[in-house]
Amino acid sequence: MRIQYNFAFLDEGSKREIRRATLKAIAIPGYQVPFASRELPIGRGWGTGGLQLTLSLIGKSDVLKVIDQGSDESVNAVSIKKLIDKTTGVPATDATEAATLIQSRHRIPEVPLRTGQLLVLQVPMPEPLRMYEPSELETKRLHGEKDYSGAWLMLFEQIMKYRSVSTGADHPVMVNDRYVMAPSPIPKFDNPKMNYSEALILLGAGREKKIYAVPPYTQVVSLAFEDVPFEPESFPGHSCRQCGAEDVFMDELYDSEKEETYYQCNDTSYCLQRMNAQPLV
Amino acid sequence: MSLDMVHDIQIAYRQLVDAMSRPGYLADITEEAGKLNPEPSMLPATQILARMLLDTEVSFGVVSEREAEAVHLLNQLTYANETTLEAADFIFVLSDATPEQLLQVLKSAKIGELQDPHRSATIIIETPSLTGGSKLQLSGPGIRTVAEAEIQLNEAWIDIRGERNAEFPLGLDLIFTDSANRLLALPRTAQVAKEEIR
Ligand SMILES: [Zn+2]
Repeated sequence: MRIQYNFAFLDEGSKREIRRATLKAIAIPGYQVPFASRELPIGRGWGTGGLQLTLSLIGKSDVLKVIDQGSDESVNAVSIKKLIDKTTGVPATDATEAATLIQSRHRIPEVPLRTGQLLVLQVPMPEPLRMYEPSELETKRLHGEKDYSGAWLMLFEQIMKYRSVSTGADHPVMVNDRYVMAPSPIPKFDNPKMNYSEALILLGAGREKKIYAVPPYTQVVSLAFEDVPFEPESFPGHSCRQCGAEDVFMDELYDSEKEETYYQCNDTSYCLQRMNAQPLV
Repeated sequence: MSLDMVHDIQIAYRQLVDAMSRPGYLADITEEAGKLNPEPSMLPATQILARMLLDTEVSFGVVSEREAEAVHLLNQLTYANETTLEAADFIFVLSDATPEQLLQVLKSAKIGELQDPHRSATIIIETPSLTGGSKLQLSGPGIRTVAEAEIQLNEAWIDIRGERNAEFPLGLDLIFTDSANRLLALPRTAQVAKEEIR
C-alpha cells in the first residue's frame, strides 16, 4: 500500500499555526514566539523545530540544502532530505549558492548568504538565560523587562574562570539592541555572519516549542565586555589540507600514520567545490 | 482554475515572508489572487491573506460598510471567530472604511504585553494603490539603508501607528493590500518618516 502524504508532510492547519508564529517572530527580532510543535517521523532532538519551519515554508520551486555540522551527507541531514523529498519532490543540492532554502544544524555556510535565500537553524535550547534561570515564567519576565544582568554575570564568571570569553558554541547575542538570543550551537566563528545578514534567518526549537527570527539587515552583537572582547575561533597559520582555504571554520584532525594534526574545512560542500575548481596538477 | 489551498497559499505566504522581513518590498500575488471568484466586499489579495492566516484558532474583526457581508465571507472561508476590534488577532480594514475608522482601529487594537508581545494585532489594510502615494521613507530591521513606500492613504495613520509602536517590543504589524494584488508590510520595527518637501 502506498501511503498518501500531505504536501510537505504537515496538514495545512499546522502550517498555518507555524506561519503565524513565524510572521510574529520576524516582526519582533530575537523574541521567542511559542508554537504548538508537532510530532514528526524523525528521531527526537533531530531538529524537529527546524524541520517544521522548513515544511511550513517549502514550495515546488524551491531548491533545498540540508547540512548537519557542516556536512550534507550525515545521517541526520540525509534522513531530513529523504522525508522532504518523499513528501514534496523538491530537489536537494549541496551547492550553497544554488539553494533557496537551507536547513542547518550547528553551522552557517561559508559561502555568504544572499537575498532570495532563507536559512533555517535547528535549535536544541532556545533560552539563553536557562543556564542560570530554570523557570520559564521567570525568563519570560526577564526578557520582557530587558533584565539581562544575569546573562552578563554569567559571562563575567566564565571570564574569571577561563580568562577569556570561552563559551564555545551558542555564544549569546543581542538582537536589534533588545533581545538576548541563543544563536543555536553554531561556533562563535559564525556569529558575525548573523549581523546584517542579507538572508532571513529563522530558528526553530521543536522540543521547547519556540520559533524566533533574525530579519535581514538586523544588528546582531555577540555579548562581550569592553576589556574582554568577543573572540571567534581562529586558525592562524593553518590552512585546509584538502583545498588550502584559510579564514574558514576548520576541524582539527589527527593523522595517526604521520602522527600529526591537520586541519580541514568543516563545511564539506564548500571544501569540495574549492577542490573541484582547482586545476589538477 | 481555482485556488490551490496548498500550493497557491504557500507561494503567497513566501511573498508575505519577504514583505514582512523586507519592509518596503512590494510583493505580487496576482497569479494566486486571479484564481479567486471576485467578492464585492473584499480585494482578492485580502482574501488570500485571510485564507492563509485565519482558522478556528484565531479571531478577527472587520471595518467596512459591508461589515456583515465580509464577516460572513470570512466565517465561511476560514471558520475563524469574529470578535471586538480591541481583542482581535487580525483586523481587516477594507477599502470603503473611512480614514477616521482606520485611525480608530490603530488606536484600539491590541499591542501585546511585555512578556507576550506576539499577542498583538495584525492589521490588514486595503488601499487604492501601493504606488503613486506620497513618498514615505522606511528604516529599521530588514532594510539595508532606507526603503521607500508610496501608500495611497491619508497620512494621519503614520503618527498614530508611531505612538502605538513607541514601546518596542509592543506594537502593531500592518499589511497593506491593493487592487493590483500587491502586498506591503510594516512590522512594528519599521520606522516611517514622511519625506521632506524640498
Ligand atoms: Zn577545504
